[in-house]
Amino acid sequence: MRHLALCLALATASGCTVVNSVTLPSVADGKDVFVTAGDIADPHDVLGLIQVTRSGVLLFGNIDVVGTDLEAGFKDVLLPKVREMGGDGVVRVRFHMTQYTPVARVLGVLFFFVPLPSSVVITGQVVKLRNANPALSPGMVH
Amino acid sequence: MKRLALLFLVASALTGCNAVSKGSRLSNRPMDSGGVYLTTGDAPKRFRTVGFVQVRGYGVEVAGYADVGDAQLDGTIKGAMVREALRLNGHGVIHIEFEDENPSSDVERAQGLANSFSNLSTGKGGVETKDRYVSATGEVIQFLE
Repeated sequence: MRHLALCLALATASGCTVVNSVTLPSVADGKDVFVTAGDIADPHDVLGLIQVTRSGVLLFGNIDVVGTDLEAGFKDVLLPKVREMGGDGVVRVRFHMTQYTPVARVLGVLFFFVPLPSSVVITGQVVKLRNANPALSPGMVH
Repeated sequence: MKRLALLFLVASALTGCNAVSKGSRLSNRPMDSGGVYLTTGDAPKRFRTVGFVQVRGYGVEVAGYADVGDAQLDGTIKGAMVREALRLNGHGVIHIEFEDENPSSDVERAQGLANSFSNLSTGKGGVETKDRYVSATGEVIQFLE
């Protein structure tokens, strides 16, 4: 019986990698906000620091009601705030979102009356380019 | 009293044990040809950002020594993160940040092994297991040249 439990544990443990990503094409063309985890060499003014946090729960272990993933964090929260600040982009971005393993999500379904807490946090430095040049990209290495 | 002192000494000696998690090397600079470029720093040449990725590998440490699952730095960064970068049509991942969330020190591993033997020999409980997590984030890029 114990061996069976161990086998089950090993089976559930195998191949449990959670991957989340967001597609965020960033070109400093003045039309949209660029985002990079590094720095830029182009002359710029620093408008300030920013941290956005969106918290919520996963209903039944899977249903993300308010959107607490990278997609929502970047596109629905960070970018609008940067536009509000008058920024052209965000540099030195750091981010983290809650990631549950498939096993935890299954438990969330079984114990549906206890929603799983979830959040995404993004920090960065908002900048405004002094000479917006459509030919340059934020990732340009000089 | 002597036993207590000995216990205290042993406990003191065990306190502050290091837990070291290792991963194999990432990409060289200047970059080698082929493969997805991986670095904890900046890109070696001009690029544009494609997106961002976060990976969390889960595994189980069995009896203090056997690691089962995906909670290793190499599997998380060179496996899942690279696959996601390729899915996004990326050429590389830069500014990679990683963390082994709950590494075991040598003492904890030995303790896990000892407890497992003890449990099995006495018939009380089974093999000791510990959930393990490794997470990593990075910026997916495409080179412009």
